[in-house]
Amino acid sequence: MFQVKPIISMLMRNKSGPLLLLIQIILSVAIVANASFIISERIGMMSRESGIVEAEVFDFTIYNFDENIEAETQPLQDLDIIRQLDGVKGATLTSMTPLSGGGWSSNFSYGSSEEDSKSAPNAAIYYSDEQFIPTLGLNLIEGRNFYPDEINAGGPELASLAIVSAQFAKDTFGDESALGRVMYRGNIGQQPMTIIGVVEKLQSAWVDNDNLELSIILNVKLTSSFNRLLVRADENAIVGLKEAIPAALHKENPNRVVRGFTTISEHRTSIYRNHELMASVLSLMVVLLLLITSLGLAGMVMFNIERRTKQIGTRRALGAKKRDIVSFFLVENYLLCLIGGGLGGLIAVQLGQQLMTLYSLPKLELIYPIITVAGLLVLTTVAVILPARKAAKISPAIATRSV
Amino acid sequence: MFFYYLDLAWRSIKKTPFLSLLMVLAISIGIGITITTLNIYKMASVNPAGERSSSLFAVQLMSQDPDTWENLSKQITYQDAFNLLDSEVPVRQAAMFRTGLAVQTDDVNFSPILEGVRVTGGDFFGLFKVPFLYGGPWSKQVDKEGGYKVVINEDINNKAFGGGNNVGKTLLLNRKPYQVVGITKTWHPSPKYYDVNNGAFNDSEQIYVPFSLAPIEEFESWGNNNSWRHEDIRTYQDRLNSEMHWVHYWAELTNPAMQQEYKEWLVRYVEQQKALGRFKRPDAKGEVSDVATWLAYNKVVPEDNKVLVGLSVLFLIVCLVNMLGLLLAKFLKRAPEVGVRRAIGASRLQIFSQHLVEVGLIGFCGGALGLLWAWGALSLLSSRFDLEGSLSQLDSSMWFIAPIIAVSAAIIAGIYPAWRICSTNPSIYLKSQ
Repeated sequence: MFQVKPIISMLMRNKSGPLLLLIQIILSVAIVANASFIISERIGMMSRESGIVEAEVFDFTIYNFDENIEAETQPLQDLDIIRQLDGVKGATLTSMTPLSGGGWSSNFSYGSSEEDSKSAPNAAIYYSDEQFIPTLGLNLIEGRNFYPDEINAGGPELASLAIVSAQFAKDTFGDESALGRVMYRGNIGQQPMTIIGVVEKLQSAWVDNDNLELSIILNVKLTSSFNRLLVRADENAIVGLKEAIPAALHKENPNRVVRGFTTISEHRTSIYRNHELMASVLSLMVVLLLLITSLGLAGMVMFNIERRTKQIGTRRALGAKKRDIVSFFLVENYLLCLIGGGLGGLIAVQLGQQLMTLYSLPKLELIYPIITVAGLLVLTTVAVILPARKAAKISPAIATRSV
Repeated sequence: MFFYYLDLAWRSIKKTPFLSLLMVLAISIGIGITITTLNIYKMASVNPAGERSSSLFAVQLMSQDPDTWENLSKQITYQDAFNLLDSEVPVRQAAMFRTGLAVQTDDVNFSPILEGVRVTGGDFFGLFKVPFLYGGPWSKQVDKEGGYKVVINEDINNKAFGGGNNVGKTLLLNRKPYQVVGITKTWHPSPKYYDVNNGAFNDSEQIYVPFSLAPIEEFESWGNNNSWRHEDIRTYQDRLNSEMHWVHYWAELTNPAMQQEYKEWLVRYVEQQKALGRFKRPDAKGEVSDVATWLAYNKVVPEDNKVLVGLSVLFLIVCLVNMLGLLLAKFLKRAPEVGVRRAIGASRLQIFSQHLVEVGLIGFCGGALGLLWAWGALSLLSSRFDLEGSLSQLDSSMWFIAPIIAVSAAIIAGIYPAWRICSTNPSIYLKSQ
């Protein structure tokens, strides 16, 4: 009923044109399916939430190179100075900034004895204080925050209490509550750290790592000449604070370098930059590819119409309706698209397999080639219908004129 | 004849402007995408050591215990670095790590700046051929005994002293006075191959201080510090004595005999350390890698770049197939005209070359336009994504590569249509006139 047989015999008679179109469709499907899969994977990565009020929180560092500065008390003084500035909602001292790409991670052990000692998954370690949770706007879902008098100042060996992310609790202890569990640094028994709270979400510093959602906050303010501070402030006040904070700190003691001032949103943009770049370049590629394929198709149809003028005229003279002429071109296109799409899908899966083994990309999901072929059918319909309607206007008289 | 064909080609293009434009557009977009990704790839994978690539070697040591790290670490321990410096085999050698120090001058109005600093030996400058503007590296004696000497680059020289020859002046680093012994030209090898851990495409440090000062001044490490076992490190001396890997080591071995000799020296060193109770793995060894191997080992070129280049080459193929189809359509439409020309004496070869010239012309236009696309895409990408400057510049070689790829790709695509048209039988078309 769709005149499939005459179309096939016509395609077979003049093989090179349709064959080229077929190759083009096959390659397009293979490229577009894989590209759109990578794009959606990257977009999925970029849309993971950090659990932090990203626009309000920024970090900066203070480097005290004056030997007379007390490493233990100076940060407390600095925090007080900062908290008194206009617009500041909270400030905390931390060992690293979420999503910043750099920091500390560690594997702690847990268990009742050396024999059944297990290693907890590798997790980001934040050394900070009781202000960490309110400053970042984290949601404490179980247990409690540190009390101010539980915070120790010194080295990592002073950590005794921990607050963990819900994902860490789940990955380590399963459905059992993490509260009250004890983790050790090194062997069982060495430096016990008791879990006193669980936050709903806290991301680490590394977005390409499996441990992105696994974080631990420990109750130590590290004493060092190099301090990293996180400050939460009104979004509008942040610009002014970039000037006000160094000024206030230098007034107190000029022998230090204050720098940084990057909001978590800016950290997010910069750490996902490569993924965004990849997604953008690939999207550009997909759009251009579809454009070229459909323009090429439209060009071919236009050329075919010219070549088939007599044929179309004859068919019209013999009673074919305008609709029949258009559907003739459409069916021809769909035939090519379906064959090309099928083969292209196979090649897409092969290509995906290669990319997976060579470049550790995840496995291509089958839905992508299918969507691509469906999209191609819609797009080519438009590309074919426009010139084909012109063809349908060919008057039957043309056919008879030159015979 | 060539110019006559060019003229014919131009007329033919003008006769079918839409179809020709489509072809130029198709090939230009293909070229544009390919050149863009190729450029990013090429800039990221360039070997900055040039001809010295095969005589500069990164040194790695497998000092970890069994059942810890499986592979060689990229860095070595401080104690190993200290011992390796005793070897007399390499022409030059240097241990190094990155730190940060606050820079001040005697001028009280100069507000302190925190700068990345490379802690290394005097051989560093010879190893990597750092160009000096004034002065030179510090002496061997400083390397042995330590001394407050510093080498700075042009930028710091301008910032701190306002430019000029300032060798001999004093720069304050963390409030300690250092004597400036050398001022280098701005030097930013990309990738920063001697230390790819701290951002392979970041600018190199602008200040250099002697490695021998590390135990005295206790410079913090701003690079990666990797431990394969838990160690209680509280003081700087603990760190120096620890099994932590945090120092890069490079040696210059100019010929294969020297490389062999150094490898044997490393074997003896590992044996000696084994006797002292370190290097417990049965396969413990030392390894040297030249710059090219080192860059590949560290995966300096992101895998994404390779995927992009691969996909864009496929993209270009689609564009070419597209063009092939359109060319075939266009040429076959002209078959009657060609029939007449053949009948009045044009040879097949003439018809063939005439059409190839036309295809080449289209390819050339496509290539030129494609270069424009690539330039636009790169500047768009670099402004949107803050690409490192070195990655977003259109490499000068692309000015040749783009038209060559475009013309040759177009001609490959054009061979079949041109052959089809020149092999048509003129009589068929003459009959129906």
